[in-house]
Amino acid sequence: MKMSPCEAYTHLQRILEEVNAITGELFTSDMMEQWACTSGNDERQHDAEVQIDQVFDWSNTGLNDIDDSHLYFSPDQGNVIFASAINGWGFGIKHFARIYAKKLGMKEAVLQKTLWGDFYLNAKTKRICKNAQNKGKKSLFVQFVLENIWAVHDAVVTKKDKEMTAKIVKSLCLEVPARDMRHADPHVQLRAIFDQWLPLSPAVLGMVCEKLPSPLDIGERRVEKLMCSHGQSLDTMPEATQKLKQDFLQCSAGDAAPVIVYVSKMVSVERKCLPEFKQRSLTQEELSLRRELARERHAERLRMQNQDETTDVLPESIGSPLYNGDTSETGGKSEATDGNVFIAFARIFSGTLRPGQELYVLGPKHNPRKALEGTEVVEAASDVYSLESNKHITVCTIQQLYLMMGKELESLNEVPAGNVIGIAGLGNHVLKSATISSTIACPAFTDMYMTAAPIVRVALEPKHSSQMSQLVQGMKLLNQADPCVQILVQETGEHILVTAGEVHLKRCLDDLEERYAKISLDVSAPIVPFRETIIPPPQLDVVNELVDNTSKQPVVRLNYSEEESQAEQKQEWVEMKTRNGICTIRIRAIPLPENVTKLLDDNADLVKTLVKCSNFKQGERKDSFELSTDMRSQLQELKHKLEHFFAENDSEKWEGVVDQIWAFGPKGNGPNIFLNRIPGFSHPSVWQCLGSTVSQSAQSAEFRLLKVHCSSMVNGFQLATLAGPLCEEPMMGVCFALESCKLQADSSQSSSTTDCKVTADDVICPVSCGDEITETCATVQDSNVLTADKKSSSNSATSCTVTVAALMPDTQPNSEHEAPSLVQVKQQIFGPFSGQLMSIVKESCRRAFQCHPQRLKTAMYSCVILTTAEVLGRLYGVLSKRHGRIISEEMKEGSQMFDITAVLPVAESFGFAEEIRKKTSGLAMPQLVYSHWEVVDMDPFWVPTTDEELLHYGEKADSENQARKYMNSIRRRKGLKIQEKIIEHGEKQRTLGRNK
Amino acid sequence: MSIFTPTNQIRLTNVAVVRMKKAGKRFEIACYKNKVIEWRNKVETDIDEVLQTHTVFTNVSKGQVAKKDDLEHAFSTGDQTEICKQILTKGELQVSEKERSTQLESTFRDIATTVADKTVNPETKRPYTVGVIEKAMKDMHFSVKPNRNPKQQALEVVKKLKETMEIERAQMRLKIILPQREAKKLKDKVKEISSVIESEHWDGDLEIVCLIDPGCYRQMDELVRTSTKAKGSLEVLSLKNIAEGDDRLE
Repeated sequence: MKMSPCEAYTHLQRILEEVNAITGELFTSDMMEQWACTSGNDERQHDAEVQIDQVFDWSNTGLNDIDDSHLYFSPDQGNVIFASAINGWGFGIKHFARIYAKKLGMKEAVLQKTLWGDFYLNAKTKRICKNAQNKGKKSLFVQFVLENIWAVHDAVVTKKDKEMTAKIVKSLCLEVPARDMRHADPHVQLRAIFDQWLPLSPAVLGMVCEKLPSPLDIGERRVEKLMCSHGQSLDTMPEATQKLKQDFLQCSAGDAAPVIVYVSKMVSVERKCLPEFKQRSLTQEELSLRRELARERHAERLRMQNQDETTDVLPESIGSPLYNGDTSETGGKSEATDGNVFIAFARIFSGTLRPGQELYVLGPKHNPRKALEGTEVVEAASDVYSLESNKHITVCTIQQLYLMMGKELESLNEVPAGNVIGIAGLGNHVLKSATISSTIACPAFTDMYMTAAPIVRVALEPKHSSQMSQLVQGMKLLNQADPCVQILVQETGEHILVTAGEVHLKRCLDDLEERYAKISLDVSAPIVPFRETIIPPPQLDVVNELVDNTSKQPVVRLNYSEEESQAEQKQEWVEMKTRNGICTIRIRAIPLPENVTKLLDDNADLVKTLVKCSNFKQGERKDSFELSTDMRSQLQELKHKLEHFFAENDSEKWEGVVDQIWAFGPKGNGPNIFLNRIPGFSHPSVWQCLGSTVSQSAQSAEFRLLKVHCSSMVNGFQLATLAGPLCEEPMMGVCFALESCKLQADSSQSSSTTDCKVTADDVICPVSCGDEITETCATVQDSNVLTADKKSSSNSATSCTVTVAALMPDTQPNSEHEAPSLVQVKQQIFGPFSGQLMSIVKESCRRAFQCHPQRLKTAMYSCVILTTAEVLGRLYGVLSKRHGRIISEEMKEGSQMFDITAVLPVAESFGFAEEIRKKTSGLAMPQLVYSHWEVVDMDPFWVPTTDEELLHYGEKADSENQARKYMNSIRRRKGLKIQEKIIEHGEKQRTLGRNK
Repeated sequence: MSIFTPTNQIRLTNVAVVRMKKAGKRFEIACYKNKVIEWRNKVETDIDEVLQTHTVFTNVSKGQVAKKDDLEHAFSTGDQTEICKQILTKGELQVSEKERSTQLESTFRDIATTVADKTVNPETKRPYTVGVIEKAMKDMHFSVKPNRNPKQQALEVVKKLKETMEIERAQMRLKIILPQREAKKLKDKVKEISSVIESEHWDGDLEIVCLIDPGCYRQMDELVRTSTKAKGSLEVLSLKNIAEGDDRLE
């Protein structure tokens, strides 16, 4: 060993100080957070592993119960074990104190105090004096403890001195097996000696027994904390529950005591590892029993043989049934050994557990009050998968109890309170954690406190699309086995796996592929949702110059010709006619104020019920759907808030807007609003169910017709908001106002020529590209070949104008010759009128949307990072590279840690955790929580135009434009058209001919 | 010496020829490969990136330049660049390799997105992801037809996919209100078309909420409109009947 005993001593001292410093820091910061009470019984274990030289790994394992009085690790208090895992020894100060107390004739207690620390032994006076270091003497610890160990080690390993070794062994009164002593490898010898002298396991076990609190000492507060999960106090619990606390504190194992068991985790064990299926070594009794049997059989056979001479019975016939029975039994077992079994890792808090007991399994959300009131009906024999969402109780039978010893499982017949055990037979009853009790009055215990919240998200797909169900099944199993995993199915149909880190992810995937699902998987970054929105025209351009209103930047659009978009730029509304020219509508898009959007987004459920009930009202069935008063007041509040927010923003523009709301979208509850601003036309608003009176005045015939078709208009709006023009993502925070809608009940008034023009116009712009209904209709009906043709040509969009030119002659003679029956013809050609209306509402919504500056909205994570000061710079680097924004940065009081809050676009978060851990050497711990939607403050179509911008960004600003990058990536994913060049420079292509 | 010896043989390797017939004459222009479609899509705005030369030919590979008189006659302008632009937008060309591959790829994606959008897994009532659909399409060796509407192709894909995996068209939810008189007669017909009747209510009129296959919408619409003489009404409650919101798999 390269280090002298003295050096080792100081080294050890330093390690201890470091450990204590960390503990102290944790403790003080805990105190700051008023946390001290809960950590009272927490076990903390610190492994400070130090490499002294290449050969030896020393580990100084300190086990300590952090208490207010014995906060720090200190060997003289007997809560530190010095140990070496490699050589298999370990000791506390106590052991040596006992040894030397006899030798030196001193009191054990004194020695225990002085053996660690700055003391030395004055050999002459046989007294222990202070300040060993100052006087240049060896401290007691060095002299008595370390030097001895060193000596042994020296003799055995370094010098390989057999005699010396033998002497030491003798002096220590050890009995080392001769075989070990003869072993060529000195380390084996060393191990053998130390095993006898300072055995590791008793030292550690003794320490655990001595220092860790027994289940009886369970603190009252802790019990309360365990029992009251969601911030309620125990006093609010039912009486029966409060009584349970006593049982809890007593921790009695008697039969009368109620059983309370907390399952903290489900462990998946391969079936063949279970003790029932193991080949047991036979006990003495069994052996003798078998011997007896064999002897009997033998005797039988002998007797048979004697009889054999007279009868023809085969001797095997008696033995064989027994034998057969055996094989069939084992055969059955081997069949069952495939697959995994879930074993619940549990602690018994009260009562005694036996196999065969029938107990209640209470889910994490179980509320004893409800259960006692009898609102929940206990369903026997059901399992958790078939349980409805509001029920949390099942009944289960304990099948087997196991003592968990590392990998080994030992079968048990009875387990009293206070023990940690494994329970079989709960696989169908427990998901991750649960409480098992003999009474339903028992509250569900709080979930385990997770230090590492899951952060790494990936989307999983099976390699073969037919294996979807296996994947789902496997993921369910994984979820049960691993408490740190979250599994989601998103609205897009993606299966999302959320894990704690990259390594954890790898492990989960391996488990899934090899154990649970047994299929190969594809892992990809999850699809990041975006929203599309419009904003009021910005006052400043990108280089902070005032935007010149006269030279407005032309907004580039994907689908339209320049002139069209220019024309629409000036007017803020869009007017469109249906294909048969019957109806003309005008729609204006208005950006909603930020807070209104947020309000709607937050209250999506409320809005949904509102819409639902207003739908029912329209159907004039007042009796069937009556709002609860609670809901009604909530809705009233929502309405007031909306009114308030609108008034706050721009009271003139938004006057009376709340009463004009016709629908919300998409899906009837989104953060977009459809307004009814047709002068004179009063449609029952969504607030009707609140009793706000809408005067149902006599309406003209035109409006009555309109009313018939209003649902298709709303549907058109829903379609438009579901897929915006930027990249077919849902819209958010947009208000569409239907300003006029002219219906020509008798369409023969309109001259045929104008009609024809309209149709031609409509073909130019791919009106019904995304319109499902008209599309399917067109494909279904044979008579509509013409329309289908038109659509396909407009979709291909490469030679729009040409095809229109070609089609014009086709339609014109049609309309001229058959003018009287034109209406019918058109009805058939263009499909049902409702469909047409829907498609033009949709299209005009989209176009109105495009009249405004368009923006993408991205979901943001709020990111909380705890880190040390050293890596702060690198942390900022990672964040800014991923377009994150720091919101606050605070030093945590009482520690060196910084608390940083930042926001980060979800789109940038893939691989974020890994990168930040790499860059900061694991010193920063990020946690991501979804927080809000944020507008990406960049026009996706922006190109530098003014001189300053050109100067600043150059000709192409692709690298700068984040919004464009997002948009193009989504469009590419969806197979939409992208404004990107396949080849940047035509001249620079490789000119390889075929035969050159 | 023959002019076709390799030394003075000029090969057109980076050239895409765009042809147009006008006034009985053939005109050609020499462009760079992979650039013409971009020009037509207005992605490329720089004409010099598209055209090799501004001259108009009658035969590019032979290097025969078009006569001025012919150009005047056919296009009624002498400006070669103008004529080139006309030919670029209207002429016919051989779509080159990269253009075709990007087009096919994007159409393929488009079809997959449409399929994913229109269908659900009947077990979970949730849509499949585009990735799964793409894989399934590749597995069944689906080939894109570039000159057909992606939407029509998507509908065909759905039909074919049904053979290999659990997939259904997402159904529409409709609310149908039938007037009392015709209700009894029409109820059976409505039931025939719709796949699931969710609720029925007699309240003077008959109100039915049902799920139908989107392909049958027109049929249903016609039924309700014609046979009730516009007294009945049809309302689309939702276009896709899918499970909403994120779900924790447990």
